Amino acid sequence: MAVALSLRTIGPVTSDGELIQRAATGDRGAFEDLYRRYARPVFGLALRRLGDRGRAEDAVQETFASIWRSASSYKPDRGPGAPWLYAVARNAIVDRARTRTDTPTENLIEQADESPGPSDQAEQGWVSWRVHRALEELPEREREVVALAYWSEMSQSEVAEFLGLPLGTVKTRTRAALTHLATLLEGELE
Amino acid sequence: MTDLNDIIDFDDLDANERERLERVHALLLQAGPPAELPPALAKPDAGAEPARVLHLPQRRQRVLLLAAATVAAVAFGGGYLAGHPATFTAERVVDMHAPNGGNALAVLKIAKRDGGGNWPMRISISGLPQQTQRTAYYELWLTRKGQPSESCGTFRVHGNTTTVNLSVPYTFKGISGWIVTAHQPGEAEPGSIVLTT
Repeated sequence: MAVALSLRTIGPVTSDGELIQRAATGDRGAFEDLYRRYARPVFGLALRRLGDRGRAEDAVQETFASIWRSASSYKPDRGPGAPWLYAVARNAIVDRARTRTDTPTENLIEQADESPGPSDQAEQGWVSWRVHRALEELPEREREVVALAYWSEMSQSEVAEFLGLPLGTVKTRTRAALTHLATLLEGELE
Repeated sequence: MTDLNDIIDFDDLDANERERLERVHALLLQAGPPAELPPALAKPDAGAEPARVLHLPQRRQRVLLLAAATVAAVAFGGGYLAGHPATFTAERVVDMHAPNGGNALAVLKIAKRDGGGNWPMRISISGLPQQTQRTAYYELWLTRKGQPSESCGTFRVHGNTTTVNLSVPYTFKGISGWIVTAHQPGEAEPGSIVLTT
């Protein structure tokens, strides 16, 4: 029951594609919604690829400048908005990488990681992009327990103590968060 | 913590739902932690209300024309030589856009005030047309109550994105936003607004 109620609080949201189309008409609110959804995923992608916070910040700003400038080139009949946004971000990051004179620019976006191969790296980048984007949709209290459970190296008992909540509440909240994420990541779960 | 059993209780779930959560769990582990967004990127637009169309008294227009021409000459000759450090730590980021929904866009980053009382700024502009005439230029203004009050510098654009470093000593208290105006030779000041907050 708690999960169902929480799902309703997330509710139907405007799709990325719709926001891009509205941004193309000069809708500032739509653009800001896109920024809220994607600023952190773009920054994370840029940080991993460029390895420098200042340059990653620049890449974020350039990504959203490109989104605003080229939103009208998005064609909804060719697919949803997230891949288009991902492509724009990758291009902006590559452009930012090319400004470095001491770094080979050819395929830099695929070479920056030291994982097995370009296709695996691209896959990894895309998965992170989608998961981090989905996290942005969670209510703050659910995002918090997910972050603590997965990336704080604390046990759930320690998380409960840290948050001052009963262990059962932390586990229930985490489960609700995962259920929400499963809904938000339908495409990735297939 | 890599075992889902340690994170949630799911004994009451059916096999399908359990498998679904296991896959989300695997995706979270694969994705790793999201990056913390720097404060400077918290919002796309830290500016205040949009600037309005300018109607300046004729006398002030002439003063501005003279001042702008002087600043333009300096900026054109050496503004870009002010240097483009590899990193620029912004304390505030202002997003600017075309007032009529056009494609032009700029990001104005303002750094911490330096010891001399100057605010270093960096503006990156995309989508503005390159000047066809040698003495044409763009100008960044602070606005107060919707009117331009202090010039923050002039620049010309080239290529897809132009980045220019500027520095001003003005207080930002009471400002209503920023605008960029376009100046064509022989055109009445202050020119047309091409970007606004």
